[in-house]
Amino acid sequence: MTSAPTTNIPVAIPAGQRSPEQPQPANTIAGSLSGIPGARTVANRLLHGTPGRMRLFGLLAVVAALVLGLVSVTALLASQNAVERAANNTSQVVLAQSLHVDLLRADAIATNAFLVGGLEPPASRQAYESAMASVARGIAQGAAAQPADAEALGLLSTQVQQYAALVEQARTNNRSGLPLGAQYLKQASAGLRSDAIPTVSAVVSANEQRAQAEFDRSNSSLQLAFGVLALIVLIAVAVWLARRTHRYVNVSLTAGIVLLLVGLVVASVTIGSISQATKQVSTGAYRQAVALADVRTYANDARANESLTLIARGSGQANQDAWTNASDQVEKILRDNRLGSLESQWTAYAKSHAAIRTLDDGGNWDKAVAEATKSSAGSASAQFTAFDTSVTQARDDASGSAVQQLRSLGGSAPWFALAIGLGTLVACWLVIRGIGKRIEEYR
Amino acid sequence: MSHPATPASTPARNKRHGATRRAAAARRLRTSVTTVGAVAGLSLLAACSGVTYAETTVPVSPTTTAASKPPATPVSCDNATQSYDPLPSIPASASISDTTMKKIIARGYVTVGVSADTYLFAARNPLNGKIEGFDIDIAKAVATSIFGDPNKVQLRVITAADRIPLLEKRSVDMVVRNMSMTCDRWNDIAFSAEYYRSGQTVLVAKPAGATKVDTTLQQLTGKKVCAPTGTSSLDKLRSVKGPIAVTAPNHTGCLVLFQQGDADAITGDDTVLAGLAAQDPYTIVSSAPLITQEPYGIGVNKEDRYFASYLNTVLAQVKSDGEWKSIYNRWLAKPLGPAPSPPKPVYGRR
Repeated sequence: MTSAPTTNIPVAIPAGQRSPEQPQPANTIAGSLSGIPGARTVANRLLHGTPGRMRLFGLLAVVAALVLGLVSVTALLASQNAVERAANNTSQVVLAQSLHVDLLRADAIATNAFLVGGLEPPASRQAYESAMASVARGIAQGAAAQPADAEALGLLSTQVQQYAALVEQARTNNRSGLPLGAQYLKQASAGLRSDAIPTVSAVVSANEQRAQAEFDRSNSSLQLAFGVLALIVLIAVAVWLARRTHRYVNVSLTAGIVLLLVGLVVASVTIGSISQATKQVSTGAYRQAVALADVRTYANDARANESLTLIARGSGQANQDAWTNASDQVEKILRDNRLGSLESQWTAYAKSHAAIRTLDDGGNWDKAVAEATKSSAGSASAQFTAFDTSVTQARDDASGSAVQQLRSLGGSAPWFALAIGLGTLVACWLVIRGIGKRIEEYR
Repeated sequence: MSHPATPASTPARNKRHGATRRAAAARRLRTSVTTVGAVAGLSLLAACSGVTYAETTVPVSPTTTAASKPPATPVSCDNATQSYDPLPSIPASASISDTTMKKIIARGYVTVGVSADTYLFAARNPLNGKIEGFDIDIAKAVATSIFGDPNKVQLRVITAADRIPLLEKRSVDMVVRNMSMTCDRWNDIAFSAEYYRSGQTVLVAKPAGATKVDTTLQQLTGKKVCAPTGTSSLDKLRSVKGPIAVTAPNHTGCLVLFQQGDADAITGDDTVLAGLAAQDPYTIVSSAPLITQEPYGIGVNKEDRYFASYLNTVLAQVKSDGEWKSIYNRWLAKPLGPAPSPPKPVYGRR
């Protein structure tokens, strides 16, 4: 009750007629209105006796009906919003993982160029620059798409700039024929791995968690439990009314309740199907996309470590161990996801890598470098590129399909929500009408 | 609802009043219902769709703490440069019965731990990718002696700190990496005779127009001075009160720190510092008297006495036939002037 009634409403009993000895129950709403002359009497009249209780229960029924309708509407919209956010988070996961790969790729290219000696080939310079350009673009896109990532991506941007500056210094010194260049490159590479890579990994895992949270949130049927509670209240009021008036059929009230029940069922069915479909995406295309992106990250890490092992020239055991570790991960993920064709492509590259290692370990460093850096058909480089292209293609397909499937889900949810909202208003009117009729009859 | 259902008014008392009352009641009901509904709806909507994510947390990289290892107490002795007696002459490969050397001969090449960034001594030439310098030519002279081919060497790039562990593990046959012969190191490994004499000094920023500076370590109080980890230069630096020691994996790493403003000076052997100064015209090597004398020897495993004797024979030959001088002139004449006479070997270690 928000507004106190004013005295200009005609009342049946004049205020003065109320006998002072009549006990005034303290636990009624009227008790709180005692400060306003006349108001107390009005409330007393309105809420007194059976019609008064009917009015109270009628109000309760309307509130219950509104809660029921609102719950259905919000649950539907929440489900749809969660699916939409899941799609956005999935895109962000793929974007962040691409950043990771591009950084590793840029580093592998820069390292390889130094490995060969002499001036770097223009093609590798171009490849490095395109990788760095896509990093710069990705950071801007990522920060715009997810404000919660903005700070982390800002830090990443600083770290990438530091990396790029060191690589340029390395290049300048290299061009002057000074060994100092190699040292700058080493520092760039080490800094990239100790600063930038952990940052980008943090962005990837944060977005994976967000996507997962939204997948879970798409099933908002828990909210519908409140709706069921409201429905029970409505039915209880109807039962009470029927008992009180000994009139079992109240068409308006029943119609209102049925309308609300239909709304609740429609909402829960829609939510159920959305969450079912979302679950399919999260265990299907989404999982596949994340797995393939992980494969690509590990693969490029392995490739970079192959170059670093050669650069270290006999002292690269740590890098070779990192290669083995990354390669094991690639094989494991491919096997777990039954990606046989990719697995055989990786095995082909791994064989070439083993040949390079045999040469280097056997004292043929120069030949090993020649093998590692040549790009003719059947070389380690060509095999790796083939694998990387296939993985990227497969990942893009999977992530595209995940995002597209998610976006197509819940498209009808707003219309259902609108229909249920209008239905709720109608139901409220029906409830008021049904109870109003009984109040009138009681008189 | 506890209050009695006694009707306070009889239903049919006043029809008109009743109707007005009902209308008013319904109006009020509607107003309040709308208000309650709006409030509840808004708060529900806010609760359900307003998802805000926590900021992405970034791992904090641990700040690199300067290794503050106390300087190793130097073992004193008076024969740090004394090595084993040389062989009477270079033996034919087939006649060698020593296990280590037989293994090397059977393998077909000798593995050598070297630097790849000590300009002029052993550095990778960016133009052709090859490692070259004074130390490399010494290693090649050994290969020529064993195999008759200077290219029968497998160079393994190692850091200064790797030198002793790798020799102890026999991961390399020998280390030719501007390695000072010290009493400490003789406890862990063996050395050939001395093949180069250097000494520790400092490299500082070149004052405008200066051609000569005489800065000493002691004068660098409160300044950050860089030395590579695992070197005798670092031990010496730590034993001097005043300068703040900073470390890098190698001397070139120190130059990077210097160029980035994270070090004010670099300490090391004069030859190494000459190589750094050649890469950065804004630096100058101090002309103050050398802090220490650094005799370079070829490091081998402690057990490889025969190999050390063999190396001494090779070095003696290289020094006497003029090759030592030509190697010196090839790399060091430009910054340091023409070759002096090679260091005198000291033999007789038991």
